[in-house]
Amino acid sequence: MKVLSSKVGIRWAVSLASLLCVNHASAASCPDVNHEALAWLDKMSHSAHEVSYQGVVTFQLGDDMQVMQISHSVNNTGASESLTQLTGQGARVTRVDHPLDCIHPGHKLLRLSEEVSLAEKPAGTAGPKDCGISGHYQFSVLEGERIAGRKAVRIVIQPRDMYRYGYVMELDKKTGLLLKERTIGRGDKVLERFQFANISYTNESIPTDSVDVVHHASHPAPQGHANVGSSAEHYPAALWDPGWLPKGFMSTEDASGGDRRRTYTDGLAVFSVFLEILPRDIQAGEGVVRHGGTTSYTRGMRMGGKPALITIIGEVPVNTARMVADSVRWVE
Amino acid sequence: MSERLRESLSAVMDGEANELELERVLSRIESDEQLRQTWVRYSAVRSVNEGAHIAHLSMDVSQGVRAALAQETATDGAKVNNAAQRFLKPLASFAVAASVAATVVIGGQQLYQIGDTTPYGNTIAGSSAVGLINTAGATAVQASYGTQSMPVLQPTVRTAYRELARQRMQKYMQEHVEQAALNSPQGMIPFSRIQKIEE
Repeated sequence: MKVLSSKVGIRWAVSLASLLCVNHASAASCPDVNHEALAWLDKMSHSAHEVSYQGVVTFQLGDDMQVMQISHSVNNTGASESLTQLTGQGARVTRVDHPLDCIHPGHKLLRLSEEVSLAEKPAGTAGPKDCGISGHYQFSVLEGERIAGRKAVRIVIQPRDMYRYGYVMELDKKTGLLLKERTIGRGDKVLERFQFANISYTNESIPTDSVDVVHHASHPAPQGHANVGSSAEHYPAALWDPGWLPKGFMSTEDASGGDRRRTYTDGLAVFSVFLEILPRDIQAGEGVVRHGGTTSYTRGMRMGGKPALITIIGEVPVNTARMVADSVRWVE
Repeated sequence: MSERLRESLSAVMDGEANELELERVLSRIESDEQLRQTWVRYSAVRSVNEGAHIAHLSMDVSQGVRAALAQETATDGAKVNNAAQRFLKPLASFAVAASVAATVVIGGQQLYQIGDTTPYGNTIAGSSAVGLINTAGATAVQASYGTQSMPVLQPTVRTAYRELARQRMQKYMQEHVEQAALNSPQGMIPFSRIQKIEE
């Protein structure tokens, strides 16, 4: 009896302490949290999976303009979606029966932010480990434009450090769907923008008219599927990883040893790191190419005595790619 | 090295640093071995020379940069005499000057040894180690074939690396986009970044 009561007492003390910690931590280390914006992000992430719609989207990357038809339909087996290019190659990409409860890390980060905001309320139980996406971006909510005939709310997203881009998003006021997005680089330069030209919220299946190329979008399996050949095959099965990542980025998959790719997301931006071990030395150096918001950074170097080529592809600034490439190492 | 310092260093290397960031780096570089090594490493890559040459890291980088900056401002009309006035100087031109100075000081004195004797004499273009495909547009790449016994021209290597980055972007974009489509708010839209979608 005595033992029991002391246990209860300890538990009380612990939970009280953690409650105090939560309030203290959120007040001190998470200032400037825009709960309205986080609620919109949460809604956006849900609607991207759970709402049926189709429409035509224009996507401008630098000088290049692409037009595509997007279709997303939800039934009780999951979500099916397709993208059909109306310009250029004219290919179609499909994904069928993606389970609704299959939430990938990038979307978890957008939804986690909702949990963070809940946890900050005095009645909250579990304390946030960090400030979530609010720690890396600053949000503001404004009155939006009319996009594709829909009234929109505008979310202005500014990075808190130099490792990521900013965004201006326009979300459908009713559904939360992302109708327009601009990616903003240094000096308020618009790197790329996409927007719906028209949209209808109907549940129609994927179009079946014939196109030349149909690609079935992959779904990450525990083991990465190697589909790129040539000189990249001979890497040792040892583990490697970037020793440094910008804060807030997490792996998009469970790490699989020996894989030659790693991909990371902070919920809004995604970049991938590719490693090639080369058969012989090359002159060390770096090369950069940009297309819209995407950076391709390639770096020739020696890694643990082996000549290696490290490539970063992703929607991040060059300095981020350079610093990540610089940190790649073998893991013992 | 703190996150903040790392960020400042990156800004300096990109020629985007403001005066405060540059000061932060310069004030630490004499005492911070890790910072100094990172700086030299970044610079080594930027000057597209073999990193193995940088054996002695004892050189006083900050003194060199300050000297170069002093020269830069002196030739600028000798109007910048004290700290207050220096602050009034447009940050953009200051950042450019700093970036140039950093490259000149490190690249010039330490790394720019192109008559080189390294075991890695091959240009990346002359070697098929990375599977670089020579394209019609990249004449500079073609020009570098067979130069193994000759000094490598920096612009050629730079052009070759840019071409390599372009080809790697094509090669890896689809694999990157498969991940981006599932982990960003854009859904399927990133697939339109791929130049040629493979089935």
